[in-house]
Amino acid sequence: MKKVININFQGRVIPIEETAYEILQQYIESLRKYFANEEGRDEIINDIEGRIAELFSDRLKKGSTCITDDDVNAVMASIGRPEDFEKADDSPNNGPRTQTTQQSQPTYAYVSSGRGRLFRNADDKIIAGVCSGLANYLGIDPVITRILFVLFFGALFWVYIVLWIIVPSQSVQSNVTKRLYRSPDDKVIGGVCGGLAAYFNTQSWIPRLIFALPLIIGLVSSPFNAWFNDWDFWWGPKVLTGSLGFTLFVTYVILWIAVPVATTSSEKLEMRGERVDLNSIRNTVKEDMESIKSKAQNFGNEVKQTAQELGEKAKGFGQTAGTHAKAFAAEAVPVARRTGSGVSNVIGILFKAFFLFVAGVVAISLFGLLMGLLFGGFVIFPFKDFILEGFWQNALAWLSLLLFLGIPIVALITWLIRRIMGVRSKNHYLGYVFGSLWTIGLVSFIILMGLLARNFKSGSEKEELFSLVQPSKGKLIVDVATSNIRYYGGDWFGIHDEDFPVYGLNQDTLMLNTIRVNVVKSDDSIYRVHAIRFSRGRNPETSLHAAEKIQFDITQKDSVLILPKGFPISKEDKFRNQRVLVVVEVPIGKKIQLDGSLDSYEWFNVNFNSRRGWNASWDDNWERAYSWRNNVEYIMTENGLKRTDRESDDEYDESRKEEGIDLPNDTTKPKTKAEQDAKKPNQYRYKGNESKPQSKPDSSKQEKTTADSEDPTDQNESYPSLIYILSRIAH
Amino acid sequence: MNIENTQSQMRKGILEFCILSIIRRGEAYPSDIVEEMRAANLHILEGTLYPLLTRLKNADMLTYRWIESNSGPPRKYFSLTDKGLQFYQELESTWNELANAVNTLAAKKDSLANVPASNNDNL
Repeated sequence: MKKVININFQGRVIPIEETAYEILQQYIESLRKYFANEEGRDEIINDIEGRIAELFSDRLKKGSTCITDDDVNAVMASIGRPEDFEKADDSPNNGPRTQTTQQSQPTYAYVSSGRGRLFRNADDKIIAGVCSGLANYLGIDPVITRILFVLFFGALFWVYIVLWIIVPSQSVQSNVTKRLYRSPDDKVIGGVCGGLAAYFNTQSWIPRLIFALPLIIGLVSSPFNAWFNDWDFWWGPKVLTGSLGFTLFVTYVILWIAVPVATTSSEKLEMRGERVDLNSIRNTVKEDMESIKSKAQNFGNEVKQTAQELGEKAKGFGQTAGTHAKAFAAEAVPVARRTGSGVSNVIGILFKAFFLFVAGVVAISLFGLLMGLLFGGFVIFPFKDFILEGFWQNALAWLSLLLFLGIPIVALITWLIRRIMGVRSKNHYLGYVFGSLWTIGLVSFIILMGLLARNFKSGSEKEELFSLVQPSKGKLIVDVATSNIRYYGGDWFGIHDEDFPVYGLNQDTLMLNTIRVNVVKSDDSIYRVHAIRFSRGRNPETSLHAAEKIQFDITQKDSVLILPKGFPISKEDKFRNQRVLVVVEVPIGKKIQLDGSLDSYEWFNVNFNSRRGWNASWDDNWERAYSWRNNVEYIMTENGLKRTDRESDDEYDESRKEEGIDLPNDTTKPKTKAEQDAKKPNQYRYKGNESKPQSKPDSSKQEKTTADSEDPTDQNESYPSLIYILSRIAH
Repeated sequence: MNIENTQSQMRKGILEFCILSIIRRGEAYPSDIVEEMRAANLHILEGTLYPLLTRLKNADMLTYRWIESNSGPPRKYFSLTDKGLQFYQELESTWNELANAVNTLAAKKDSLANVPASNNDNL
C-alpha cells in the first residue's frame, strides 16, 4: 500500500507514488549537481525532465494508474545515471567533480587533470564561501582553512575581502564531507570522544584518554593534596589537574551540547568522512535541497539579506553598537537594492565586510568583557567566604558565576564550534535553554547584589585612645611593624599590586590594610594617638560589633610608635569594609616623622549610604589634619606642619620620583593653609581628610567630596569591592 | 592503459559526428537519435545526449523548434544550421581520411621491414 500524490511535472499532472516521487526528485537533483558547471544546465535539465514527463505519459497511456518506483527506475536506466555518463562524456563540466571520478574509477584520472577554477563555494559557506572554496580548490578540509582565517584574522582579513570580490560564487560540490558528529555506536558518556576519533581519524581510546587523564591524576593525587592542604595553600597540583581537568570537562560538555548525534546512515558516513558519492547521493540530496534554494538567490539579495541579518545581530549586541548598525543597515538596504552591476557588487561586499567587521569587533569586545568578568569572578573567588554569609548567598553567588557569566561563554563557544565544524543545527530549543538559564543567572546576580548591599547598609565606628608615653626628645616617629608572620597567597594568581587593599590571604584569614594615618594639631602640649575602627554591617549593632572585633594593636618603643601592618578578618567576621583611622595629635613645637612603610596602607571605602555618611562625626578632626610626606621630619606650628630641614620643598617632582607615588601638590607644601589647598584642582588624594571646602553646603555634599577624594577607582559607590578588584586587574 | 578507457575515448571522438550525421537527414527528436544509434549498434544514454545537443546548439551548429506531441509536452526537434552543416562536412572528410588510414593500416598483413640488429650487446 503506497500513497499516491499528484505532481505538476513539465506542465502535466502526473499521479506518482510517494516513494517514486522521492527517487525521481533525488535523481533530478543528482543530475542538477552533475551538470552544475555546465553552461546550459537549466536547459539540459529541462530537456531531460521533458523527456521523463513524456515517458511517464506513455506509461500512463498504456494503462498504469500511477507512476511506480519501477517506472522511475526504468526511466532512470534509459536516460542514465550521472555515474554512467562519465564513461561517455568528459566535457569541462566535471572539473570539480573529478574527485569522485578519481576515487571510483582511477583510470579516468587523466581525463580531468584540471581541477577547475577557484570558486567561492555557494553551498557550504559561513560568510561568503571563500574558505570552503579555497579548501575545495586545494583539496583540504574547509575546517583547516577556516581555522587559519580565524587565527590570522588580522592579516588575512583583506585577503578574504579581495577574494570575496574577485572570485565568483559557484555551487561547488564539497570534496570533503567529513563532519563532526557524536557517535551513537561508539560511546561511553555522550559519544563525543567517539565522534572526535572519527573526525581526526584515530582510535577512540586516544581522545578518551586525553579527557580522562586529568581525572585519573586528580584521583591519584587527591590524597597528597589533602595532605598538603593542611599546612600550605599550595596550588601546584590543583592547577595541573584541577584547571586543566575543568577545561576539558567544560569542553566535553560544550561539545556534547553543540555537536549533534549521527543518527541517519548518511550522517554516519559523513562522520567517518566516507565520501558520499553519486551512488549514495540520495542520502545527502535532501539536505542539499535547502542549500540549493539559498544558492538560487542572486547577489543583490544576498547582500541585502546579509546586511539586514548583520544589522539585526548587531542590534542585539548592545545599544550603542545596535543603533549604529541599524543606521548602517538602513543605509545599506537601498544600496544593496541598487546592486547589480560589478561596481555596486564591490560596494555591496565592502558594506557587508564592514558590518562583519563591526559585528566582529563588538562580539570580540563582548567576549573579552565576559572573560574579564569571569576571570574577575574567579579572582574574587577566594574572598567569597569573607563576603558571603549563609547558604543562600553562596548559592546565589554560584548561580551568578555559572549562569550569568558562564552561559554566554558556553553559548558563544557552542556557536563557534558549530560554525567552524560545519555542524548543522537541528535543535532550536538550545537557544531557549541558554536564554532562560542566563535569565536565572541574571536574577540571582541581582538578588545577590541586593543581599550584599544590605550587609553594608549601616556603618559604625569605635574610637579608642592609645595610652601613649610621651616621647622623650619631643619627636614622635610613626612606623609600621614588619610582620614575622608569612601569609601565603598574597600574590594570588600572579596579581601583585601594592594598591591592593588585601595584602594577605589564607584559608580562613584575610589580612586587610585599609588603614590611614592622620596628623592633626593637638590642643594642648601632649601627643595623643587615637585609633578609630570603622566597619559596616546590616544594622548599627552588627556594624559596631564588627568594628569592635578589629584587632589593631599599637605598640610603642621609646619614641617610635609602631602600627601593625594590617588587621586580620576571619571567615566568621566577614569582610564588611573594616578600616582603621589612626589620628596622631601633635602639640605645637613638637616634631613628628612618618616612616615610608606607611605607604603600604590602602584606604578603601565602601559607602552604600551616602546620606548618613560614616565619617560625619569625624569631620572636625579631618579638617584639622595635615598632609605629610614620608621620612621627613616635621614640626607642628600654629599654622600646621612645617618641615624642619628647609622652608618649603619646591622640588617635589624629584622627591616624587624617589617615592614612586603620585602625591598631589599640596602634600609637598605642608605649610599651606587648608583654605588654600581647597582651591587647588588636583589634590584628589588627600584632600578629603585634610581640608573641606570652607563653605559647607550640606552634609550629603560633604560626603561626596570625601568619597571622591579617596581614590579614583572607587568612585563607584556601590559594590566597589568587585569593581575595585576588576579595575585593578584591568590596569 | 585500459581497454575500456581507450574504447570510450574512441567512441567519444566520433559521438558528435554520429549525432550530426543523423540530424543531417532531417529534424530529429533526441530519443529518435538514441534509437537510430542503437539500431546501428552504437549505444548512448539520453543523459549523455542532451548535454551534447545543448552544447552543439549553443555553438550554433544546431537549431530546434517545438512540435506539439500527443503523448506529452511539446517536443524539441533538432536540425542542422548552415554552420552545423559545414562543421559536419569537415568532420566527414576528416572521418573518411581517418577511416581510410585506419582501415589501410589495420588491413595490412605483411610484416614490417626488418629492424636493423640492435647494438644492445655492445653497450
